[in-house]
Amino acid sequence: MGFIDIKNLVFEYFRRDEDGNVEEMIEALSDVSLEVEQGEFIAIVGENGSGKSTLAKHINALLTPSEGEVVVDGMDTVEEELRLNIRRTAGMVFQNPDNQIVGSIVEEDVAFGPENLGFSTEKIWNQVNGALNDTEMNDYRLNSPNKLSGGQKQQVAIAGVLAMEPKCIIFDEATAMLNPGSRRQMLNVAKRLNKDKNITIIWITHHMDEVVSADKIFVMKKGNIVAEGTPKSIFADEKMIQECGLVLPQLYQYVKFLKGQGIISENEAVNVENDEQLISLMCNKYGIVQEVRKSESDTESKIEDNDKRYVDIEDNLRGQTDNSHSTKINPAEGILINNVSYIYNKGFANERTALNNVSLHIGKGEFIAVVGHTGSGKSTLMQHLNGLLIPDSGSVYYDGNNIHEKEFPIKKLRQKVGMVFQYPEYQLFADTVEQDVCFGPMNMDISKVEARRRAYKAIEVVGLPDTIYDASPLTLSGGQKRKVAIAGVIAMEPEYLVLDEPTAGLDPVAAKNILEMLGILQKEHGMTIIIVSHNMEEVAEYANRVIVMDSGEICLDGPVWKVFENKELLEGLGLKIPVGINLLNTLKGTGIDVDVTKNTQIDIYGELCKLT
Amino acid sequence: MREMTIGQFYSTDSHVHRLDPRVKIVITFVYVISLFFMRSMVMYGLAFIALLVYIKLSNIPLRYIIKGTKVLVWFLLFTVILQLFTVQGAQTIIEWNFIRITKAGVYAACYLFLRLMFMIVGSSMMTYTTTPNQLTDGLEKMLSWMNKLRVPVHELAMIMSIALRFIPVLTEELDRIMKAQMARGVDFKEGNIFERLKKMMPIIVPLFVSAIRRSNELALAMDARCYHGGEGRTKMKPLKYKRGDYIAYALVVIYLIILIVIKRMLHLSMFDAMAGNL
Repeated sequence: MGFIDIKNLVFEYFRRDEDGNVEEMIEALSDVSLEVEQGEFIAIVGENGSGKSTLAKHINALLTPSEGEVVVDGMDTVEEELRLNIRRTAGMVFQNPDNQIVGSIVEEDVAFGPENLGFSTEKIWNQVNGALNDTEMNDYRLNSPNKLSGGQKQQVAIAGVLAMEPKCIIFDEATAMLNPGSRRQMLNVAKRLNKDKNITIIWITHHMDEVVSADKIFVMKKGNIVAEGTPKSIFADEKMIQECGLVLPQLYQYVKFLKGQGIISENEAVNVENDEQLISLMCNKYGIVQEVRKSESDTESKIEDNDKRYVDIEDNLRGQTDNSHSTKINPAEGILINNVSYIYNKGFANERTALNNVSLHIGKGEFIAVVGHTGSGKSTLMQHLNGLLIPDSGSVYYDGNNIHEKEFPIKKLRQKVGMVFQYPEYQLFADTVEQDVCFGPMNMDISKVEARRRAYKAIEVVGLPDTIYDASPLTLSGGQKRKVAIAGVIAMEPEYLVLDEPTAGLDPVAAKNILEMLGILQKEHGMTIIIVSHNMEEVAEYANRVIVMDSGEICLDGPVWKVFENKELLEGLGLKIPVGINLLNTLKGTGIDVDVTKNTQIDIYGELCKLT
Repeated sequence: MREMTIGQFYSTDSHVHRLDPRVKIVITFVYVISLFFMRSMVMYGLAFIALLVYIKLSNIPLRYIIKGTKVLVWFLLFTVILQLFTVQGAQTIIEWNFIRITKAGVYAACYLFLRLMFMIVGSSMMTYTTTPNQLTDGLEKMLSWMNKLRVPVHELAMIMSIALRFIPVLTEELDRIMKAQMARGVDFKEGNIFERLKKMMPIIVPLFVSAIRRSNELALAMDARCYHGGEGRTKMKPLKYKRGDYIAYALVVIYLIILIVIKRMLHLSMFDAMAGNL
């Protein structure tokens, strides 16, 4: 018998209408069996609604089976008196960093579990100290959780579980709301705990790139486990992965493509486990050895190029702002940000400069991605585009007019520059989808009929069926809710659409859906799209132009391929270059003639085909 | 809204910060009550000195406290001015149409201003120096005798501390929702009172939905961390009186004694003072 033993688990619940009558019975889990050994690193993957979180909640007795049995470390979860012991043995880290912290300072929160278990004061202190050390959060022990970043809050949540001396930790989509840097860090903590303390890890996610090094993967679909095996065996079956609403990690997509084209052999493909291995394999195979010397001088000149590029950008901007020698930028059109600075809590001890002399021009029809780590000023910059924030110095122009002049119609601007905030579905409020989407247009001076027409059109544009009009927004799936929220902004028929992390927290299929929709808005409806993103792969795939921000300043601005050539700089900012672009640039560096101006996956495939 | 600092815990190390929360509750209670027995400038002087010493010992910059109190300046001015016009004595200072300001009115206004000011600063000192958790721990322990009366003291304390923990989270959320609806063309500054109230709906509804969602998730997370009520629960920082706490209690007693002595010297009995207040 394993450490965790689940046999024929069935979980059903009733959905009730408003009067409490049973409407239907939903089978969230149907006949799930699985076995986990102590010390294993297990991954459970599946799209939203596949039942993976429901399964997780059975392992620490937050839910109990309708049929079948769940035994954890020899304890059956149906036995009421064992429940505390089970929850302590199998601790759980949840998705939302804010909603699982009880204490108002870090160390008091970590102590919450041990206090509930009735440990002695001395033991509580020992446990808390140990847990804070293991998660490297000791420096923050007296901080208020509200002052921490999302990633740090999740580390606190891990510490809170560790302090109860668990044998197993379940991460229930614990990385879904984090940026890639924090996600990697979380995963590293989990791996370390697994290795050093032999703690069993159950890692639940829809990001396949996180499970590459798991001991075993379980794939779930509609309440069933449809596949289980090592990462290699699971990744080999791309068709099954797609059917389950998941996406193969980009690295493995490339490996599969290269193998399929005969560019690398079956044997070589098997050994590739990370980006670097693929790149060095390709360089060794196709790099032009006798031209090593040349490539060295190449990299030197490339560095010079980089410096030059910096200057170029600055020149460019100066051109925009003093309006003298710019050829392609017309400052009378589009949005022009001129030397804008913004300071939070100006004049107080906690004063913080969020934007420092930022200048930027946004032309019509662009698809811009703004990237940079948390706190670099991205969101602050976005809120200047439609006058939600007023700069402390500098000015913002819309089609040549200063938006902070008294006579400027700010309401009109808000209509022209639509803004979709992070997790926009949390701002839905009306009884029906139709009413919610109508809200924006209704605030404009147009007739009800016209408002409704625009709402219907917006719902169609985001790709939702017309049967959805009368549905309550609260009953929809996560991806649908987000589309409704975006439709609510599109219905105002803006010329510019600004979205703060439009795909955060969505599963890969829903995320792709949203991005493709944005692509259509740009290409077919001529809308200018500006997204804030942490995901470099989606940036490379969809954007035309990338703006990199760091400490309140723009440090790079240009076409995607050009910006991604600055590998060291970007990696220094915690931004990982997509594997395809990295590969092309490195190949070029070894003297192979590939076109590095390609950035979408399909174009890169085309370039790689030239190698044969 | 986010710049409201009054009563928000100020993280630093000081004698006051280290005091047992029960002591701080008693100090605040005694101080506020004592303000009601004051009828002369000398006594207000004592209250002022006591407050200054307390602030000094707490290592909180005076500037920070003054900044926090600024929010209430309109409320203070309003009550003081009201007092100035309504309290009518014999000696008139200014008389103009129906407005008549008397000497008694000026005194009453000054006393009221000082009393309110000391009360606000005095009681906010408790929350500046005590984390919400300590405060609720203190209240829980002080009120534990009410358990026998079947009052769920632990649960109430837990509710209070969670509420305090989530105030900043929900404030931030409110800020975000307001901005999002502003971006959809709502102008909160225009329209009459009914129109403005109607405009609150798109803010209140999402805020409530979010609060309910959060509380559901939090309840689950607390369950997962073995929370099962106050029974058998131990404390990381159990409340135990230390030397500093006894010294603080002694200082409270000394403060009261000085107050009574001054009162005697001024030939005013407590009853006169109370009668005077009423």
